Amino acid sequence: MREPPYRTELKPYGRALVAAARCRGEILCLSGDLTRQTEIDLFQAEFPDRFIHGGMAEANMMGMAGALARCGYLPFVHTFGVFATRRPFDQIANAIAYPNLPVRIIGFMPGVSTPGGPSHQAIDDIALMRALPNMTVVDVADAVETRQVVSAIADVPGPVYVRLKRGEIPVIFDDDHVLRLGRAEVVLAGTDVALFASGMMLAAALAASRVLGEHGVSVSVVNVPVIKPLDSATVLAAAAAVARLVVTAENHSVIGGLGSAVAETIAEAGLGRPLRRIGLRDTFAEGSLDAPFLFERYGLSTAAIVETIWSALGRAGPAPPAPVTAARSGEYSPV
Amino acid sequence: MPATLRVSDPGAAWAVPDPRELALRIRLRAVRMVAPQGSGYLGQALSSAEQVAAVFASARPGVDRIVCSPGHYIIGPFAAAAELGLIDLSGYGQNDSAFEAIGTERSPVVDYTCGSLGQGLSAALGFALADRFRGRDARVFTMVSDGELEEGQVWEAALFAAHHRLDRLVVLLDANNSQVDGPVDSITTLEPIAAKWAAFGWDVWDLDGHDVSALSVALAAAPMRAGQPSVLVCRTSTRHGLDCLPPDADGHFIKLTPELAFAAERELTGKLEALRA
Repeated sequence: MREPPYRTELKPYGRALVAAARCRGEILCLSGDLTRQTEIDLFQAEFPDRFIHGGMAEANMMGMAGALARCGYLPFVHTFGVFATRRPFDQIANAIAYPNLPVRIIGFMPGVSTPGGPSHQAIDDIALMRALPNMTVVDVADAVETRQVVSAIADVPGPVYVRLKRGEIPVIFDDDHVLRLGRAEVVLAGTDVALFASGMMLAAALAASRVLGEHGVSVSVVNVPVIKPLDSATVLAAAAAVARLVVTAENHSVIGGLGSAVAETIAEAGLGRPLRRIGLRDTFAEGSLDAPFLFERYGLSTAAIVETIWSALGRAGPAPPAPVTAARSGEYSPV
Repeated sequence: MPATLRVSDPGAAWAVPDPRELALRIRLRAVRMVAPQGSGYLGQALSSAEQVAAVFASARPGVDRIVCSPGHYIIGPFAAAAELGLIDLSGYGQNDSAFEAIGTERSPVVDYTCGSLGQGLSAALGFALADRFRGRDARVFTMVSDGELEEGQVWEAALFAAHHRLDRLVVLLDANNSQVDGPVDSITTLEPIAAKWAAFGWDVWDLDGHDVSALSVALAAAPMRAGQPSVLVCRTSTRHGLDCLPPDADGHFIKLTPELAFAAERELTGKLEALRA
């Protein structure tokens, strides 16, 4: 794995979709009036005949995508995550999830990564999609995983929801990292705390683990790119391997996402471990110019993870500071 | 025909020599389907019987598609398919039957139906787009109810269809002025319905939805103009063709007592015999 500040890439998803579409004529691309923002201007330029402007009409777009999938096409539907899930929830349920059709719903701008206010923040998209039978839910962590996500989900027989960071995508993993659906991965081994992270919170989890390690707390970090179906074997093994504490970190509400999934899994297995969930604490997120401010204010920072673990373990004194690695333009560091 | 087959599947085969007679048989069959439960979506079958008959008479078996947007209307296509020998409806509406009163994914016959209303036209667009991509010459007959026009998704779909010039699409809009809470026009003013669709770029026919000849003519003629989707605004009643229904029968969900079922059976059997005489 690389070290922060991470270099970033532009449009790793858009390039991956085009590459997949060159090999698979059944791939169609639908846009909800956010073509450049969802990186599919690349697809539109190369395959204009397989590109469909749905316009600002998500309900209709999901219904069409379902019928196209019934006819043997592989529709990839693109908009912001918040519009991809809240607005057309009933259409996804009835026209896609219930018939178990291979529609790929790609929702950009997860959680509080946008300064667009609560209307634009997908803080419950994982909870909504996870609740639907047949749905696979993916939240990848970096550009290396994003490059692979299109081919990884292409042959899933049912529907898939993927949430993707918009804009500059950090490169956290080495190039030989392999994204495997249905596999969580212990990326750092530790003995005191198991810290499960998904999506944009992986970078902060890695930074928190480093700080805590320097202060005598050994934290394993588990990357969980697939929230559903959850790799319960890896989750249970990682949780059982540590004696004291399980922590989850997600750029999402603590209700219904990764934290809930991990809690359900360890509780059903009878694995008694104290649990802390890092995420939005049942609140909408207001008042921002930029994402780092929101990550700080709403407890999604490296410092928040460090403090949560420090206090949960009953360590004496204040938590160690979590220095932020400065990032220049074109680089990415977690706050 | 296996119970899972749809009208557009290769191998589907049927013929409708007389759509007027089929409409009558749909009514009689629907009465027999609903009678064991004592209540059901008989009103939907009564208002749409001629539309369903005209669609089955116009659709090319194994090619054209039928979308039944309101799942509550599936009784009509089921009844027609049973009358045409395409399916065996035994067990309809009973526990563990594939034939549920409100259409599901297990519902055979139609290409799409959904009990959550207002979604079928979007599916019809998906079918029309897929057929266009493939160069497949197929029409998509789409049953929509007037109550569904209260759902915004229908209008999203209407805009898309006109913009993309999906002229293989024909909507049969059952304007029966009936929804759960009462007459549609007492709850939401939809009129002028025809003008609304015209303003959205559709070719509009406004006609008596119980005139099966007029429906058949319109279905044969649509689209009048290349590049325009068509809508037949079918003016109907949920009580049409069954005189024994009490005047206060709830068109959305008709109660059919054994006595009423007996009277309906006798009335419709008599009409069928008269038609065949």
